[in-house]
Amino acid sequence: MSQYDDVWLVIPAYNEGQVIADVVEGARKTFPNIVVVDDGSGDDSAKHIMSTGAHLVRHPVNLGQGAALQTGLAYALAQPDAKYFATFDADGQHQTADVEKMVALLREGETDVVLGSRFIEQNGQVPWIKRVVLRTAATVSPTARKLKLTDAHNGLRVLNREAAGRLRITMNGMAHASEIVSFLAGSDLRVAELPVDILYTDYSRAKGQSLINGVNIIFDISLRERSRR
Amino acid sequence: MKFFWIQLVLILGSVTLAFMFIRRWDRANTRAWKRIAFSVFVVVNIYAVLRPTDVTWLAHQMGVGRGTDLVLYGMVLAMGFLTLNTFLRFRSLEKKLTDLARTVAINEGARLNEERFDLDLPVSAPVDRSKA
Repeated sequence: MSQYDDVWLVIPAYNEGQVIADVVEGARKTFPNIVVVDDGSGDDSAKHIMSTGAHLVRHPVNLGQGAALQTGLAYALAQPDAKYFATFDADGQHQTADVEKMVALLREGETDVVLGSRFIEQNGQVPWIKRVVLRTAATVSPTARKLKLTDAHNGLRVLNREAAGRLRITMNGMAHASEIVSFLAGSDLRVAELPVDILYTDYSRAKGQSLINGVNIIFDISLRERSRR
Repeated sequence: MKFFWIQLVLILGSVTLAFMFIRRWDRANTRAWKRIAFSVFVVVNIYAVLRPTDVTWLAHQMGVGRGTDLVLYGMVLAMGFLTLNTFLRFRSLEKKLTDLARTVAINEGARLNEERFDLDLPVSAPVDRSKA
């Protein structure tokens, strides 16, 4: 038994066969419960995930990271003992130590959602051009401003059961980060930010979002159906 | 500036397009309107082929030089509606596909993981190690 039996890590993975097993095994040293959503990978990701102790859920076709996150959350929510839900990247850029800090904050019961931020403490790890763009995104986004967020697009988040159960990610692609922030801003959930360390390895840099993809995100968001909610 | 009817028509068309982005556009009654619009389009088409001079007359009334130009303007608008309609249809299909794939993935996953970890409880429950 571990003190983190009530925490579930949700890891969306798309063609991450190279690293996924190491990332999952590394995280499982701390967190016994992990669900990896293989988002219709064309490589042998599923085989690598099967070799670990993580739960595997496979999309029959590629749907996008937002869809994978929602699937993983739905799967984890179905586990009766799960109380906290963390979204974690498959490329090894997130640290389990950060998740521990975030879970500890949630356990105090003062917040419903803890978001990771790369900018609360300036640690010089983020490439400067990315820093400028992400800071601008956080500053111009009305919802991020309302929540006083410093980083609107961080993949590391921990939600309690109430927040995870209410979240419905409809943006299948990469616009889900903005969608989550705007959902939080429109809800009465209590949101906090904690500084996190991001390891920008060559691998994660190559796999990560290019800045030009930000254009896609802005487009997706502006076309979103507003009638729901 | 002189006012032309064609300007009103084109502007109204564009505004309607913009509204379609925001409002839901796959309800039954909007579908009915789309069908009516299509029928009208077919009838007008046949009429215009039979009596092209009438189209030119209408173009003059609306402040457009030639009948051909009026048809072109109409086509630009129709094209816009068509594109948007296709886009919205694709989006709603994508949503259905997502729901379907998610249901399949979760059901399959639950079965698979139950087998892999040999449990009827979540994996966090201690697996019986005494036999090992």
